[in-house]
Amino acid sequence: MAQDPQSPDEQKQPDAKDAAAETAPAAPEGAPAAKAAKPAAERPARPAKEAEPKTAPRETPPPGSLNEVIAAALPDVSIAAAYMVPAVSGEAVAIELKRDDVPAVLQVCRDDARLAMDYLRCLSGVDWQEEGLEVVYHLWSFEKRHELTVKTRVTYEDAVVPSVAAIYPAADWHEREARDMFGIAFSGHPNLVPLLLPDDMTDHFPLRKDIPLQEIEEWQGENLREGAGEGEE
Amino acid sequence: MVAEQRPDLETIDMPINMGPQHPSTHGVFRMVLVVSGEKVVDVTPHIGYMHRGGEKLMETMDFRQGIGYADRTEYLAQFSAELGYVLAVERLMGVEVPERAEYIRVILTELNRLTSHFMFAGAFGIDSGLFGTSMMFAFREREFIQDLFEEISGDRLMYAYFRVGGLAWEVTDNFVQRCHESLKTAERGIRDIDDLLTHNEIFMGRCQNIGAFTAQQAIAYGLSGPMLRASGVPFDLRKDEPYSVYPRLKFDIPVGNYGDVYDRFLVRIEEMRQSVKIVEQALEQLPPEGPIVAEKLPRRLRTPPGEVYAKVESPRGEWGVYLISKGGDKPYRLKMRSPSFCNLTALREMTIGQFLADAVMVLGSMDIVLCDVDR
Repeated sequence: MAQDPQSPDEQKQPDAKDAAAETAPAAPEGAPAAKAAKPAAERPARPAKEAEPKTAPRETPPPGSLNEVIAAALPDVSIAAAYMVPAVSGEAVAIELKRDDVPAVLQVCRDDARLAMDYLRCLSGVDWQEEGLEVVYHLWSFEKRHELTVKTRVTYEDAVVPSVAAIYPAADWHEREARDMFGIAFSGHPNLVPLLLPDDMTDHFPLRKDIPLQEIEEWQGENLREGAGEGEE
Repeated sequence: MVAEQRPDLETIDMPINMGPQHPSTHGVFRMVLVVSGEKVVDVTPHIGYMHRGGEKLMETMDFRQGIGYADRTEYLAQFSAELGYVLAVERLMGVEVPERAEYIRVILTELNRLTSHFMFAGAFGIDSGLFGTSMMFAFREREFIQDLFEEISGDRLMYAYFRVGGLAWEVTDNFVQRCHESLKTAERGIRDIDDLLTHNEIFMGRCQNIGAFTAQQAIAYGLSGPMLRASGVPFDLRKDEPYSVYPRLKFDIPVGNYGDVYDRFLVRIEEMRQSVKIVEQALEQLPPEGPIVAEKLPRRLRTPPGEVYAKVESPRGEWGVYLISKGGDKPYRLKMRSPSFCNLTALREMTIGQFLADAVMVLGSMDIVLCDVDR
């Protein structure tokens, strides 16, 4: 435990957050002095951190990859981006599409003999804040043993993505879950009613980033950093 | 006597509510069945009673804290859940796990598969109308293995023993011997359950030709694990997209012929035998000494930005973790692709047209964990 919540207030580091001090439970009995946080001067100087890259480097897929097969099968569709993402072993191709192209591309992915991706293993919503909402499809082919990640982005104001439940019945509940959690409406879905959330909770999307978990965050992760020998980010 | 035709009387479809507090729903699960006589004509599953916002919670936890939450999600196959989570983080960080840790992980995960399938066999026996005997047989052996897990991890259910880069601490000195003992009792348990149920005429009558799914249907509905294999698709992530040290271990993938409830039971029983084989081989190959955690791991685990979809074969199917990181020590987004959730999607399709009493068998054969469904 980096920051001892039981230490009395006078032993707290001067830079401890006010909010943390307010919510700290009263000390049951005087905590031993050894538990008090060490003065900052005793710590060895930390080497300056290298600036972390904010986005992952994107490698273009090698020639002959799935994105080229899709582009050949569907000349009308423009693939906005294609790059490699890590899989458990090796890497897999990911493509980004416009939302209206998703059903057509997934239909081809399922039916084209060169692709034969008949298995939708996962469908996830992602909230990228100012960059909008994203839906990610993970496809797998039992026959060809390859996988593909398909992504599409929409804005908050127009969070509508065509449903693929007619192509992959597996998408049915995943899409309902994404609607519950992110407020992404899937047009053409046969039964888009709340699945995990209460029936009347249709205006509140808990997995969006603007809905914080404040009280829990107070005591976890980055906020435990004081006293652990780590600077601010 | 021939039944008199009375066109002036009409039949109605009657909705029957089952759950959320019902012993055969294996947790807090509710389904509204519409029946015409004894036949089910429609089913509406209601889930979400156990929804705790796990994915949101894990966004606020760093990569060490998240391991404990994985346990609480898949509480019958905790090691599989932990493994999926740490695999995702390790892949993103590029951590090499020491060999000894990999073997111990595989041994524990397979023993965990045994306990999970014991739980299934016991509960499924009760679903089929057997009054507790299967549960007694199954739990006798399950407890023995769980004692072993408790010795190692210090907890009976929420192990939190795997770490990013290896294991939390060294196993106990008598680990190998205890594993062999566990396997011996497990074999007895498998034999007892097999003797009790597999060729029992009543049990077969209750199970055969019920809830059958073809391979095409199973793939379309995204089934995984024993549900998929019972329908005749020989797909197992341990073989087809191998992780950890599974490529070095020899085992078979049992596959069903008809995809019905009975096949799912048979597949799971055979999987238990295969798990025993896997653990035996892994114990033989286990390096007697060596590090159990990757070297030079920072105290605060940070991943580079990126995304990874890691997946392991849990007893219920494909346990996937879609992890997106923006750098830093917490996931930006973590989606848990839980096999229970995906398998339950097919419940409606499987149950319609069956008898009301068989709906319980279909649900039981899915072997769902409701915490895993709702997350």
